[in-house]
Amino acid sequence: MDSIDKIAYQADENVVISARGLGFRRGERWIFRGLDLTVRKGEFIALVGPSGAGKTTLLSCLCGLLQPQEGEVWVRPNAVANPQQPRACRRHFGIIFQSLNLISNADLLTNVQCGRLGRYGFLRTLLGFPGNESCEAYQLLADLGVGADPYKWVSEMSGGEQQRVAIARALFQSPALYFADEPVSNLDTYYAGRVLGLLRQQASQLGRSVCCVLHDPSLISRWADRTIALHPDDPSAWRMRDVRPQAKELQGAGL
Amino acid sequence: MSDSNPQEKSRPLSSDPMPRPHLPSLPKRPWYERLNALNMTLLIFLLAVVFSGFFVSGSGRSVNVIENLSRFAQDFFPPDWSVLDRTAAALLETVVIAILATFFAIVVSLVLAVGAAQNLAPSWVVISIRMGLNMIRTVPSLIWAVIAVVAVGANAVAGVIALTFYSIGYLGKFFSESFESMNMDVARSLRGIGADPLQAFQYGIWPHARPMIWSHSIWMLEYNIRSASIIGYVGAGGLGLQLHAYQEYGQYDRFATVLICILVVVTSLDFLSEWIRRRIKRRTDRNLSH
Ligand SMILES: Nc1ncnc2c1ncn2[C@@H]1O[C@H](COP(=O)(O)OP(=O)(O)OP(=O)(O)O)[C@@H](O)[C@H]1O
Ligand SMILES: [Mg+2]
Repeated sequence: MDSIDKIAYQADENVVISARGLGFRRGERWIFRGLDLTVRKGEFIALVGPSGAGKTTLLSCLCGLLQPQEGEVWVRPNAVANPQQPRACRRHFGIIFQSLNLISNADLLTNVQCGRLGRYGFLRTLLGFPGNESCEAYQLLADLGVGADPYKWVSEMSGGEQQRVAIARALFQSPALYFADEPVSNLDTYYAGRVLGLLRQQASQLGRSVCCVLHDPSLISRWADRTIALHPDDPSAWRMRDVRPQAKELQGAGL
Repeated sequence: MSDSNPQEKSRPLSSDPMPRPHLPSLPKRPWYERLNALNMTLLIFLLAVVFSGFFVSGSGRSVNVIENLSRFAQDFFPPDWSVLDRTAAALLETVVIAILATFFAIVVSLVLAVGAAQNLAPSWVVISIRMGLNMIRTVPSLIWAVIAVVAVGANAVAGVIALTFYSIGYLGKFFSESFESMNMDVARSLRGIGADPLQAFQYGIWPHARPMIWSHSIWMLEYNIRSASIIGYVGAGGLGLQLHAYQEYGQYDRFATVLICILVVVTSLDFLSEWIRRRIKRRTDRNLSH
């Protein structure tokens, strides 16, 4: 599996994630099994399925937070590097968690700047973040409508505002790969479109890749290239679908 | 729209607007599942209380408690304020000893506590540091003072050394328990986007642990001020020397003055820590989501 995959990477330098035969089991129950997924540069992939189908679990396997019991995941965040295990290239992953996982006792600016912890060593961030980047972090907050007071604590923000702070953290990190778990679940239509538009722009214009859990069919058809649908009762019944037929030729056959 | 619908009108008012599927009844929970660790602890503790009640008994003679106590209390009143300036000087030394000891103990304990927290360190480190902390706590502060006086002589430095060791035993335990009670999700998510373990601790755990750490530290300072007034009994500086002398000569009115001074300092510290805790709570408790 290992060597075949490396060959696949050499054949297509646009492949960023390659998952083969992925299976994850919780207790006796397989959440998904035999799942193949290839993510290329510039792609926006939507993970869909009813609640409890395993979308968060799949996302966690792809970004190395969970270790799948079967199959393997290879990641190549930039074209020159060799494919690696997800755990080895964590700093290239921007993750928007379903439960946000912000530092509630710290101000918004600090939370956003935490996105770049992986870029700097411990000593660089021991006494705070590089000051010349604060403005960039603040502008991202302002862009998402939460820039009124960047020194407020996260615990003093509403649910939707906190979600936008989490998105700002990922955008500030500016990673090669975005993993977003229902990033617009608490947002109104305007900001949902704004956020997905920004992620889409990261993919289309900067060649980043986005894996995003989405529920709303209209948002999926508007922003995503492909969907992978998980079935809550049948672990092998996952399905891959192109939602942008015109994009099919560009991405090649494969999946 | 629904008003014009004849079917809608003919439906009886009491009926469910939406037909429901057959819903399952609540599954029964076996009684023994209630015997979790918390409930068992409560049960065992209550049994221990009842049991202990049978074991404790007084001298058996009938004693006049009220008279004994009032005779004793009369000796304390009125307090003799003539020793106030001498007391103030010794009190200052006591507070200085307590502040230094608490500071050194906080610094050492923070490092030890990370090693003693099960969610942050490998278990062999946790076990060995906890053993050490237990041994430190086993030794009373007065014994630490005796040891320190033997080592560096009868002065305030001995007091600082004694109380530093004594406090490490407590703060190390409290701090590590604070770290263990932290939600690890934030730290884990920072690790997930590439932060190293120290960064994840600094940004993911420390902001949440900080209020508890300060609260424990102020408690320890208060405790150390009280301890620092005792260790003078064995010559380790502070108020204790004075207390010892007044007690020896039966000058309980002067003794009372010293106690009142300690009370004032301890009470103001208590207010301070309460104020800090309230301020932190006000910022973190505002939302339903936390
Ligand atoms: N930590 C856990 N321990 C045990 N089971 C879990 C855990 N997390 C999730 N599960 C189970 O795994 C299944 C998939 O969970 P997952 O969180 O991946 O679902 P999801 O598709 O993200 O759902 P949602 O849309 O509600 O977020 C669920 O049935 C859930 O009960
Ligand atoms: Mg989920």
